[in-house]
Amino acid sequence: MGKVIVVTSGKGGVGKTTSTANLGTALALLGKSVVLVDADVGLRNLDIVMGLESRVVYTSMDVIEKQCELNKALVRDRRVDGLMLLAASQKNNKDDMQPEQMKAICDKLRTTYDFTLVDSPAGIERGFRNASAGADEAIVVTTPDVSAIRDADRIIGLLQNVEIEPINLVINRFSPQLVGNGSMMDQADVLDILNIDLIGVVPEDSGVITSTNRGIPLVYEDGSPGAQAYMRIARRLTGQRIPIPDLEQKGLFSNILNWFTKNR
Amino acid sequence: MNRSLTGATVQIDLKSPTLNDDEIDYLRSTLREDYDLIVRGVELGDDSVSPPIAAAPTTHTISQMTDAPTTRDGEPSRIVPCTIRSGQIEEFPQGSLIIYGDVNSGGEVRAGGDIVVLGTLRGNACAGTNGRLSAVIIAMDLAPLQLQIGNCVNRSTTNEKPPGYPEIARIGPEDVIVIEKFVKF
Ligand SMILES: Nc1ncnc2c1ncn2[C@@H]1O[C@H](COP(=O)(O)OP(=O)(O)O)[C@@H](O)[C@H]1O
Ligand SMILES: [Mg+2]
Repeated sequence: MGKVIVVTSGKGGVGKTTSTANLGTALALLGKSVVLVDADVGLRNLDIVMGLESRVVYTSMDVIEKQCELNKALVRDRRVDGLMLLAASQKNNKDDMQPEQMKAICDKLRTTYDFTLVDSPAGIERGFRNASAGADEAIVVTTPDVSAIRDADRIIGLLQNVEIEPINLVINRFSPQLVGNGSMMDQADVLDILNIDLIGVVPEDSGVITSTNRGIPLVYEDGSPGAQAYMRIARRLTGQRIPIPDLEQKGLFSNILNWFTKNR
Repeated sequence: MNRSLTGATVQIDLKSPTLNDDEIDYLRSTLREDYDLIVRGVELGDDSVSPPIAAAPTTHTISQMTDAPTTRDGEPSRIVPCTIRSGQIEEFPQGSLIIYGDVNSGGEVRAGGDIVVLGTLRGNACAGTNGRLSAVIIAMDLAPLQLQIGNCVNRSTTNEKPPGYPEIARIGPEDVIVIEKFVKF
């Protein structure tokens, strides 16, 4: 029996879709069977980030309306074995779907796939409830700023109310340089407030934007810091114990390196 | 229904025992489905002359209170063994609240008597809602957005980090809230 994990945040634009695409691809690269579910009905974009936009024929709404079988609605990602996408309908809105319907889909996928990752829309309303309805576990994505953290805190409270456990935290767009000069919260500050387990820290990486535009998840680019961070998180999701490297230390080091290269 | 309560966890105080289990289940599911409120617990009272369901919390004005208590004697307390997160409200009008966790910004604690936070108080705290003006707010780290004791309100003015030792807030001589290092009573 696999796991259904909702990727959520409260606030929009913090990296839920980016994280879903990269963690899903990374898990498939590690040999797991994975299905990515876009729960952002009406504002779908996981298919774009995955580069599968042109291959989407059916959506979860067609499955719910019994227009097609669940298996037929899944789009296979041809770049890696065992990776599928269930797209969201673009012409419907969030209220057209019931949490129970999403739960039924997740319950089916759980029996076949090692990991079902559900990309949640922003907010705490129906879209969030649909996305979390079938989840066993959650990944909460936040950026290290006070407004994203407050929304993450709200979401964590709601997830705890429905007994979704564990809830793991991803801190995204972390910038060692900004922490170094005191203009960004550090890891410890974020964890002190949210008080859940940290599963990874993804640095600010300009590669994310180009990979999004090209529809090729960043994890295919082995060398990039963002790709390495997502690969480590994926390994942790499979149960491997991998320490979280201290990006702040590395930041200091690369600051010094930067200083040398600039002043050469 | 206040929209900002959506998704909040609530405690229902029933001042009357006249609801049976089925009725309580119905109340629980209605609150959940129609208002997205999660019912954490239901307290049954035995005072059958009171209204059946406690109304929304009333904010008392101290001056309106004729029988405000002056001591902690007989004041019950409630322990909350978790963090109060953004959007959550913990309320105990009958007495004091002790939080085994943090109160995060966007979260709120309201107590008839004292409030003790064995973590960081970052959100809002309102003590002494029963009119006892000697009510205090104590936190291991006191970094609130807003404190209220009785009618006195204190908004945070600085962005400074708390000093790293427990602090106590109480009503001082000029009817303003003063914050000091906590020393044993
Ligand atoms: N680690 C990162 N470094 C740089 N840009 C990022 C990073 N993570 C996300 N982004 C950018 O932030 C924007 C929002 O990301 P997205 O994943 O769509 O957020 P959400 O799904 O939470 O709304 C996108 O333009 C994306 O490219
Ligand atoms: Mg998104």
